[in-house]
Parts: sequence; C-alpha cells; structure tokens
Amino acid sequence: MNARDETFVPEQTMLLTGNHAVAWAARLARPKVVPVYPITPQTPILEKITEFQADGVFDAEVITPESEHSVMAACIPASLAGVRVFTATASQGLLLMHELLHYASGARAPIVMANVNRTLASPWAFWPDQTDSLAQRDTGWIQYYTESAQESLDTVLQAFWVAERVLLPVMVNLDAFYVSHALEPVRVPAQELVDAFLPPYAPAHRLDTAKVESWGNVVTQDMFYRHRQALGAAMDQVPAAALEADREWSELTGRGYGLVEHYRCEGARIVIVAMGSMCGTARDAVDAMRDAGVAVGLLKVRLFRPLPVQALRAGLAGVPEVLVLDRNYSPGHGGVLHQELRAALYGMPEAPRIHGYLAGVGGVNVSPEKIADFVRMASASEAQPDSVWVR
Amino acid sequence: MLQIIIQGRGGQGAQTAGNLLAMAFFAEGRQVQSFASYGGARRGTPVSSFIRVDDRPIRVRCDIEQADAVLCFDATLLESRLLATARPDTLIVVNSSRTPEQFAEKLPGYRVMPVDGISIARRHGLGRIVNSALLGAFARAIEAPKLEVLARALTEEAPKLHDENIAACAEGYRWVEAQLQRMAA
Repeated sequence: MNARDETFVPEQTMLLTGNHAVAWAARLARPKVVPVYPITPQTPILEKITEFQADGVFDAEVITPESEHSVMAACIPASLAGVRVFTATASQGLLLMHELLHYASGARAPIVMANVNRTLASPWAFWPDQTDSLAQRDTGWIQYYTESAQESLDTVLQAFWVAERVLLPVMVNLDAFYVSHALEPVRVPAQELVDAFLPPYAPAHRLDTAKVESWGNVVTQDMFYRHRQALGAAMDQVPAAALEADREWSELTGRGYGLVEHYRCEGARIVIVAMGSMCGTARDAVDAMRDAGVAVGLLKVRLFRPLPVQALRAGLAGVPEVLVLDRNYSPGHGGVLHQELRAALYGMPEAPRIHGYLAGVGGVNVSPEKIADFVRMASASEAQPDSVWVR
Repeated sequence: MLQIIIQGRGGQGAQTAGNLLAMAFFAEGRQVQSFASYGGARRGTPVSSFIRVDDRPIRVRCDIEQADAVLCFDATLLESRLLATARPDTLIVVNSSRTPEQFAEKLPGYRVMPVDGISIARRHGLGRIVNSALLGAFARAIEAPKLEVLARALTEEAPKLHDENIAACAEGYRWVEAQLQRMAA
C-alpha cells in the first residue's frame, strides 16, 4: 500500500473549527505516534484524528493512556525513538502533564502539542483563559499563541519544523470557544506542499535497541549545569528558526505571521499588547479608534517562549504608552504578559509607560468597544506597577 | 456585518443550527464565523450560539452583545438576558405556538415572530427536534440564506431523516411567509 497516494489531498478551503484545523494540521504532518487522553478535558481534536484514522488516511499509532501524565510519558520515549509525535490537551490535562513537560524538554524530545486554553479549577468551568499554559512557561517548551483556526493549522505545521530543528518540544495554544470551537473558512494546504515544507523526521540520535545509547541517566552537578546551558542554547536558536519556518511557510502559502506582529503601529501614541484570540477583536477596535483619530496600534505576541525580547524592545521603542491585555491571572503577581513585558523593556532608553489590565480573565467578554474603553482609561491614568482588574 | 444569536438549551440543537446557518451562508460565498458558548454541555442548560456573516474576513472574537437577529428555541429563554441583546429593530424568531399579536402585547417594543416549531417537527416525524423547522422560519424572516442552500446544508449534515428535515425546513419557511402576508394584509 502506498500511504502517500492513500492520503493525497489537494489544497482546499473548508469550514473548520480551530479544533478540526489542528487535527488537519496533525494529519498533514504525518506523525507516527499520537498519545492522547480521551476524556474531559479533551477536545474534538482527538475525535477528528480518530475519524481520520478510522477512514484509513492517518497512518499513526493513536494511544489512549489512562491519564495526561501517562500521555506525556508515552510521547517522550516515542519521540526519542526517532518518530514524529503529536498530542493535544487542555487546562487540567495540561497541568497533570506538568512533571513530564520538564522531562520532555530535558530529553530534547521535539513533541508538538496543541493546548486549548481553558480556565483552571476550582471553581469548575470551561471558558477561555490562558493561565493553564502560562503556568507552564518554565518547563522548557516553546510556546505559540494563535488567533484563528487558520493560524492554528499553520502554526502546528511550523511547530514541527522548529521543534525538529532545535530539538525542543512546542506547545501551540488556542483559546477555548473563540478559536477552538469557532467554525470559519480555513485554507487547508495540499499534502504535497506540507511534505515539501516538512520532510520526514530523521534525528541524528534515537533510541535503538541495536545501538548502545541511553537517555536520562543520573548525572553530576557539572553535567547537569552543562545540560541546562545546552537547553538554553537551543532556546536561543528558536527566534531565528521560527522566523525561518514562518518565511518558508509564507513563500509556499502566502501566509506568514512573524514572532510578533505590528498592526497599525505607525506613529501610535499607545500600543495594545495581547496574545491569542483577543488580538482579532483588538484589530477591529484599533480600526475604529484610528477612524476616530486616536493614534493606537496593536502588537500581537505570537511566540511567548522564548519571549522575543529583542523584537519587543525594537517594536516598542519610542512608543509613549503600552497597554497589555492579559486573559490570565497569576495571583500575587498579576497579568503574566504584563509582568514579562515590564521585565523585557526594563532599563531601555525611552521605555514606554506600561499599563497592565486583567481583561477577559475567566472568559469574561471583551468586545472591541470595551478595548476602546480600556485604551481611553489607560491614556488618562498613570501606569501602575500592578495589573488592574477591568471589565 | 450581520450578527445572529441562537439561544437554546443543551440538546436542542442550537449549536448545530448555528453551524448549519454558517455553512449555508458560506455556500453563498459569504465569510462566516460560528461558535457556541456553554457552561459544560449539560442537557437542558442554556446554550448560546453566535454567528457572524460578512463580505470580508471576520477578525472579531467575542460574544455578540447586540444582535441583528435572534433565533430562540425555547420561549422560556425569551427573558431579560436575551432581550438585552435585541435593539428595537432586531428580529426575534421564537419557537412558540402563540401569535405575533400575543407577543406584541407581552413584549412591547420588540419585533417577535413566533413559529410553532414543535407542531411542524411532529408533522414530519421529527419528534421534538425543531432545528430544521426553526432554521427554515428564520431564513425567511431575515431573507437569507436561500431555502435551497439551507436545505443542501441540512442534507449534507443531518445524520438521518434527510427528507423529513428538508420538509420541516420548508414548512417553517412557509409558516413565516404566511404570517408576514397575513400581517401585511
């Protein structure tokens, strides 16, 4: 059987949810192993993948272990055996993986995982909120945040490219409902195009019973120290690798996103900084405010780990005011992006005044009109070191 | 941009109805966005489905706070929270056996078009599955999408009872047409 002929799909525009767009990306990437926990808080990503498998167009081993912890424990050795690995989770599931997220990056396993950003219990809920993935920022995973179903599909494919270049795992985050469950037109690339962009994964080292190599041995202080430096050096390569992947993808499809995106920032007196689905709403807010003569722009942070510090410093130099909108909350610390941006811009000549608003935490609705209100509030007030609750 | 809210209860098919409507508008060449918002997909709890239709790509990603049209699956959900999304010109199509005049009296200042979705569904052997009847009624009330395009989306997506769903959709359409003719007379 020729698997390539069996799975051939031409380019087409389909109506897809963010979840199904991610499943399509996973199919087009041709992973060999897909461990996924099949119960709450799993999303329709898994349902679609198993449909593909049942239809005979997805030639991967789909494993359904007893927990997300076991899912990640299955992803790591599969990846180290030298095959492409994909998984998907959300909120509580991601948290249950936490211990092994560190293990995966330490093992330099280029796993790609989609995470649907949802509120964390307690209390129990399902709303869009990015605290789940932001709480994993120190695990050594590359993190992207996407705005649409199309960007989610494109980013999962770019994520494999980057992961396999630098040998680090990648998390692609999409907001619950507004991206994950929103049905919209998506350009699904042809299998041939994806094959050209993403050649088969062939690592220099892999776990092989015929060869004497091992992973994860007990090490000395010095070896651990050097291991962390090597991990850091790989992280340092990510911005350039991610830009290269994005550029190649853009040449093939006409769709590129950058690490950060500037939207109508020319001459802006105030720039909104946000991640994920809220960026789409902010675009409409910026257009309406520009029409009313307000010099406002949007800087979308697409790559969050590693934080593209140089791009942020260059992009915000000379901007008088910045307003960070955080759909997450770190108790005792405030909005994560707010505090990260303050640190990134600290000591910069002509650093902007940085306002941080906790907007949309727990999935509270944030409309374009509301964002315009926030811009007016920030413009009329002093920037505070702490994040401010707004709605 | 046309912004629509479909309000139902978990299990009634409001989310499916939203997706079907989006598919039909998309088939007519429009840009669409459809998503549902619910507190854990429990049967019987309120589910809101939001649909946006435009001639250019849709970027905004938030709940609809002011709707151009509302389709309400259950008249008991036609209360303050849902009515707050309606402007005086917002057309509200509701699943109810009452008359437009009764709603005009009960909810002054709102444009309410009732359609007896349950009776239509039962006549076509669909039991309590009202979404095809309500979608047909809604499409006539807001004059889009075309009935045949909507029927095609139903055929492609309905797991079974294709002919029954299409017949119910068409009867819902004609129901509203008859109401409008009666009111114009």
